[in-house]
Amino acid sequence: MRVRKIISQSTVDGPGNRTAVFLQGCNIRCAYCHNPETQAMDDPEAREMSVQEVTAEVARSIPFIRGITVSGGECMLQAGEMTELFRAVRQLSIESGHPLTRLIDSNGTIQFAEHAVLMSLCDGVMLDVKAWDNAVYHRLTGAKDNSAVIQNMEWLLRHDKLTELRIVCLPGMVDVETILEHIAKTFDSIGKIAPVRLLRFRPHGVAGELKNHPMPTDEQMARYTALAQRLRLDVSVR
Amino acid sequence: MRFFLYFCTLNCKYCKYTCLMSDIYSIVTSRQLSYEQKVVALAHAAEDTLSVLNVPETTRRYFEQGVICNLNEGNAPYRPRYIMPDYEKAVRQGVKFLQLEPPRDLDELLTFLQVLYRHVPSITTYPVFLGDIDRLIEPFIEGLSDDEVKRKLRNFFIYLDRTITDSFCHANLGPQATRAGRLILDVDRELEQAVPNLTLKYDPAVTPDEFAEKAIYTSLCVANPAICNDVLNSRTNDRYGISSCYNILPIAGGSYTLTRLVLPKLAAMTDDLHDFIERLLPDAMQCMADYMSERIRFIVEKSGFFESHFLATEGLVERDRFVAMFGLVGLAEAANHFAPEGKKYGSDPEADAIAEQIMQVIYDFSGRYECPYCEIAGHRLLLHAQVGIDSDHGITSGIRIPVGDEPESIYDHLRHSARFHRFIPTGCSDILPFDITGKQNPAAVLDIVKGAFKLGQKYVAFYASDSDLVRITGYLVKRSEIEKWNSGQAVLQNTTQLGAPTYASAHLANRKLRGV
Ligand code: SF4
Repeated sequence: MRVRKIISQSTVDGPGNRTAVFLQGCNIRCAYCHNPETQAMDDPEAREMSVQEVTAEVARSIPFIRGITVSGGECMLQAGEMTELFRAVRQLSIESGHPLTRLIDSNGTIQFAEHAVLMSLCDGVMLDVKAWDNAVYHRLTGAKDNSAVIQNMEWLLRHDKLTELRIVCLPGMVDVETILEHIAKTFDSIGKIAPVRLLRFRPHGVAGELKNHPMPTDEQMARYTALAQRLRLDVSVR
Repeated sequence: MRFFLYFCTLNCKYCKYTCLMSDIYSIVTSRQLSYEQKVVALAHAAEDTLSVLNVPETTRRYFEQGVICNLNEGNAPYRPRYIMPDYEKAVRQGVKFLQLEPPRDLDELLTFLQVLYRHVPSITTYPVFLGDIDRLIEPFIEGLSDDEVKRKLRNFFIYLDRTITDSFCHANLGPQATRAGRLILDVDRELEQAVPNLTLKYDPAVTPDEFAEKAIYTSLCVANPAICNDVLNSRTNDRYGISSCYNILPIAGGSYTLTRLVLPKLAAMTDDLHDFIERLLPDAMQCMADYMSERIRFIVEKSGFFESHFLATEGLVERDRFVAMFGLVGLAEAANHFAPEGKKYGSDPEADAIAEQIMQVIYDFSGRYECPYCEIAGHRLLLHAQVGIDSDHGITSGIRIPVGDEPESIYDHLRHSARFHRFIPTGCSDILPFDITGKQNPAAVLDIVKGAFKLGQKYVAFYASDSDLVRITGYLVKRSEIEKWNSGQAVLQNTTQLGAPTYASAHLANRKLRGV
């Protein structure tokens, strides 16, 4: 697999302490991307690693981690390799006697429903809902529309694989309120819920037009949180 | 200018406490000592006029060379160094000598404890152990609102912080989660005080994650509480408590003495590891152990403590629950001394193997030596990773990895600790400063603790990189108070005066930051 980097101790990629594997390559171009260097399908700093090599790295973090998170770029572009990795990590859990959950962090542009084996090996997905309105989504990511993301959200929710929904809060560029309202509607219609995490936009690492864009203020974040609470969402902020 | 609270007439050349105020007149007329400090210094000076311990010439020489150090315990011990009263029993039965009836409500309890603490002797003259504070308080808060309880606890904690002006003082929490425990953590976070030190006894099978996470969150805010491996430590002692820095000792008992072996000073006497292990180490250990036995015999047979002190006569401590702490310091430097050039304890297998060889020899000795009056320990000495004193330069605490030599990965660091912690029953610890992102995910930090404890790590403390309170070697000090002290202003806590030079000389600001 094409690996950008492996962080053996991550406190920000899902519940508990995890080893995070970042894969190289992304299929969209978010203006607020923190890791634009992972977007290209190849890069001199990425390296080709076998599933065994990645698994060996994960093994070194036992018993200090709760599991692994595969992120990117967009990790679903390497769904086949990821399936093998999850299989190997499951085997590692069994052999070491140390349970390891396997999570995916994805932009939701690729259909999970079409990767049944992967989904059976995966404990859950942390899904980015980048925008709700298609025009807003297009302007932010360069991609045509977000119908795939919405379908994925519904599919994951129905199949109890939605670990978390993430919204990067960037006033003016992201229709946070609309996203929250639609998430609440979707939860209602399906009759299931998932935690929602509001991520405060931080210019750190960002390239291009948003490089010097200010962070949303505390008041702005408080307004989003209040709305989410009014919609009775299980919301947290980071 | 520093205060010298403790005396010693053994003339160890490396010890800064030595006889600097042996002239009683200078104590009496000092402008630097507070009234209480003068009283303590005079008591020490008086004690040290006696020469009642039989200290053979060889031992005396080790003292002079700084190889053995009694940590200023004085020449004629008249109380055990660390006392761990059975506060639960006291609360149940009252204390006759202090004319205290068993308390009936929270106010009475807190007053009861304040009075009792005031009368618990120790090496520092302040109590080093305040009990399982959550368990003591829990039965008395039924029917009271959180706010009421917190108001009372706040006053109680302020009283402790301002009157026990020394952070070598410890209260314990857990392993069970209680409402009292949660409220204590809240108050602790709000007050940001150095006293008391808190430690959570943690057992993953008993302590709910949510409570442990709250403790860790508190710790990343105010460097308190530390977390102790209850599974392993309760194996050593039926009822134990954490006192002073991180000393694990039997409740209703304590430790008669803590004397320490300064390994790098001994190692400096030879370049031959074989000679060190076969000749020097056994000789120094024998001298130190005999010296400790001599102190213990004096406390038990001569001082009258166990016949006359109310804690003993009222059954709040029992003579046969006291142990002897055989302290070690500077394992890292000793191992590095014998390791091939450039190989370092903590990151190099060869240096670690030497360290383990040294530890094994010490451990075997401690398990073989017949120590008088140490029934609860099977008459054995119990090893302790002594935390260091402020005059130790270039000597790392106990068995810790020197600042700057820490392995790149926190996991390797903790694996290393586990490997060496297994030798130490009466206290060893690691201190990990965390990046502030840890605060947003205490569950992640708890995962790391769980992993470490599973491997055999026994005790860990953290603080966040942005915290005012920092853990120096085991005790807490405020960075802002250190700055005050360094700029020449007076400060309340004795331990700020100890901590300021240690923070600088041990380069603690350079401790490897853990986080993402
Ligand atoms: S999906 Fe993620 S990696 Fe891809 S461009 Fe957007 S933010 Fe960057």
